[in-house]
Amino acid sequence: MVLELHVWGPAFSLPSIDAQCLATIAYLSLTVPKDAWVLVASSDPSVSPTNELPALKNGSTWVSRFRNITDYLRQYSNGEWDLDQNLSGLEKADNIAFTSFLESRAQPLLDLSLYVTSHNYYNSTSPSYGAILQWPNQWILPPQLHTAAKARTEHLGLSSLDLAAIEEQRQREHSAAVAAGHVPKNMIPRPRDTVSGMLGKTAQQNQFRLEALTGEVFDALEEILSGKEYFLHTRDQGPTSLDCVALGYLSLALVPELPNAWLRDAMKSKAPGVTGFTERCVKEIFGVVQLEHAFNPSGSSPSILPWRVLDRPRLVTVGKTLFNTLADSTPIWKEIRLNNRVKEAVESSDSDLSGVERRSYSNMAKSQNKDVWLSVGAAIGAVASLVGYLAHVGAFSSGEDGEEEYQEEEEQQQQQQQEEQEEMEEREPVPAFEEHAFALPEQPTQAADFLKAGAF
Amino acid sequence: MTPERRDAPGQVPDNVTTASRARDFFSVPAPVKRIFDRFPLVTYPSNDLPHSPWSDKRGNRLFVFTDAAGARRGRPSFNPQCLKWQAYLRFVGIDFDIIPSNNHASPSGALPFLLPAHPIDNNDPIPSSKLQKWAIEQVHCEEEQQLNLRFDVYASLLDHRIRNAWLYVLYLDPENFDAVAQPLYVNPSSTNFAVRTTLAVQLQQAARTEILKSSSYVDVGALEAEASDAFEALSTLLGDNLHFFDRPNPGLFDASVFAYTHLILDEGLGWKRNRLGQLLRQHENLVQHRERLLKFF
Repeated sequence: MVLELHVWGPAFSLPSIDAQCLATIAYLSLTVPKDAWVLVASSDPSVSPTNELPALKNGSTWVSRFRNITDYLRQYSNGEWDLDQNLSGLEKADNIAFTSFLESRAQPLLDLSLYVTSHNYYNSTSPSYGAILQWPNQWILPPQLHTAAKARTEHLGLSSLDLAAIEEQRQREHSAAVAAGHVPKNMIPRPRDTVSGMLGKTAQQNQFRLEALTGEVFDALEEILSGKEYFLHTRDQGPTSLDCVALGYLSLALVPELPNAWLRDAMKSKAPGVTGFTERCVKEIFGVVQLEHAFNPSGSSPSILPWRVLDRPRLVTVGKTLFNTLADSTPIWKEIRLNNRVKEAVESSDSDLSGVERRSYSNMAKSQNKDVWLSVGAAIGAVASLVGYLAHVGAFSSGEDGEEEYQEEEEQQQQQQQEEQEEMEEREPVPAFEEHAFALPEQPTQAADFLKAGAF
Repeated sequence: MTPERRDAPGQVPDNVTTASRARDFFSVPAPVKRIFDRFPLVTYPSNDLPHSPWSDKRGNRLFVFTDAAGARRGRPSFNPQCLKWQAYLRFVGIDFDIIPSNNHASPSGALPFLLPAHPIDNNDPIPSSKLQKWAIEQVHCEEEQQLNLRFDVYASLLDHRIRNAWLYVLYLDPENFDAVAQPLYVNPSSTNFAVRTTLAVQLQQAARTEILKSSSYVDVGALEAEASDAFEALSTLLGDNLHFFDRPNPGLFDASVFAYTHLILDEGLGWKRNRLGQLLRQHENLVQHRERLLKFF
């Protein structure tokens, strides 16, 4: 059985645009023999039942996330495909701690560099997604990822890197000032910042904060590497899973050619050793990946990685994507689906929970669903009683009459438009107006208003 | 033109009449003015500030999540963030009183914060992010982050892995939420059923959003497995030492670890299903570490 690794597609001459996917690709190419696995740039999380990438498919079994995949590979190969078997006590602890450190500290840096810094996002990241995604995902997924990255980095207080949001904010303030009427419209100075000027200004403001953030990450990494070949081991002992994770995050910091390359500059100046490690590993493990490698492997030069072409998207898949997007943006439906995701994950056979726990968790997910339905019911009940009350009080009676007349009015007008020619109407608006005014003597003003607005 | 004026001709010249008419147009009508002249009817003396047993304390005051009884005896807070700073200030030997509070009272929107005793005239509150700097100025203790590169790295295990698992266990596990979080965080705020329900839903929603920031769905198994890894790594780091990084006295890192291990192992909270406790008890040295530090309280 050939293992299939589904990942986000290649970008920036790296095999994937996502750090976790890069880490998993590195892990598989270091452990699994080349003919035992293939790499599929599916770029669509909905291929996997857990709705996540990277995802490893073996027959009908799906495993997602780096950690679960490494666990699965160890079990599947009876401990043979395992990079972490020779770790001593403290090395094992370091392996866990530095992995967590990278995931919690390096991911925000990548988010800031690739997504929040709007120059990089609009000039590099967004077009890269456009190249690897298929319709309709190329319109749906990048904004979602962009929003998620902004949410993840909100607490860092660096949203001023996001020029688009600043511009929006300023326009809002500008129009608010106009609306308030404090200043005549033509007197409001429109600040015309050049892009480079704005970048320079925000860069200065952000410099200290970014300096601290990047320093925190790169100093610690540089110190643990301390001239060795790999983060925990020397060349003889070989790489560990930490090296794969680090490669995933660091290659995305180093390799992409971005318009505003503050992250790469920081990395090169603060951590020359780590930069060397990354350059070497990218060359050895990933090579230089072009889009054709993933989508048309027969042509051009061969890649180091075992790419397999993705099937053409079927109508069912496209329909499913559209349906999911719609469902995820509908308020209450979204909640139900979120709870279901917990339930599915728990009930799936490969989760390593004991029977009792699994049952209790799925009960919990079910009871939460009940809560959602209860709130739906309460909302419907409340609306129904409000409508009932209004009907009882009589708030609708006059409104309904008005509406009926309105409809009659419309019908008449349509008939009239069919009968008469347009030129006639334009030339002689007054008779037509009078005709309708007479047709509806009960509410002449309303009819007249409607005619003025609608017909002419 | 009032009827009185028309009844008294000749007494008022014409030009004065027009002027007073213009003034009448802008001035308040006399009956209305008479009513408003009587306001304010009564002026009450101003209310006293709300009095509580701790408002006359003059020492350093640390505002945390706790109850009145716990505040009197200086018991550990039930919120990990608050407990971390409460424990740290106690470890470095700063005297302070703890005062029950909630997020709405804090200038930064989050607890804990500290009102220093000195200087009297400048009682700007100190948010938790600046507490360590303040403590170093007060008692000249070490800034531990500088001493060991592993401080930040292992701290990420607590801030990231264990925190996510904690959020799940406390807020999203419905039995634990009803038994533990609801009495601690929701019930003290209000006695109104509707307010309590809304607060509870908001809390759970916030916890779920926080977990979903780093993954696309809440995978209970993965959260627990990662917490288990984290405990293992912390246990290895502690080894046979009394305190982390083999320091003679407990410090900030010990406080951070204690904040979670104490609450996870505290049976007094009434956990219904404490998977994290089971995982943590496998590491004897972390359990002993918690018991040693509990003696400070």
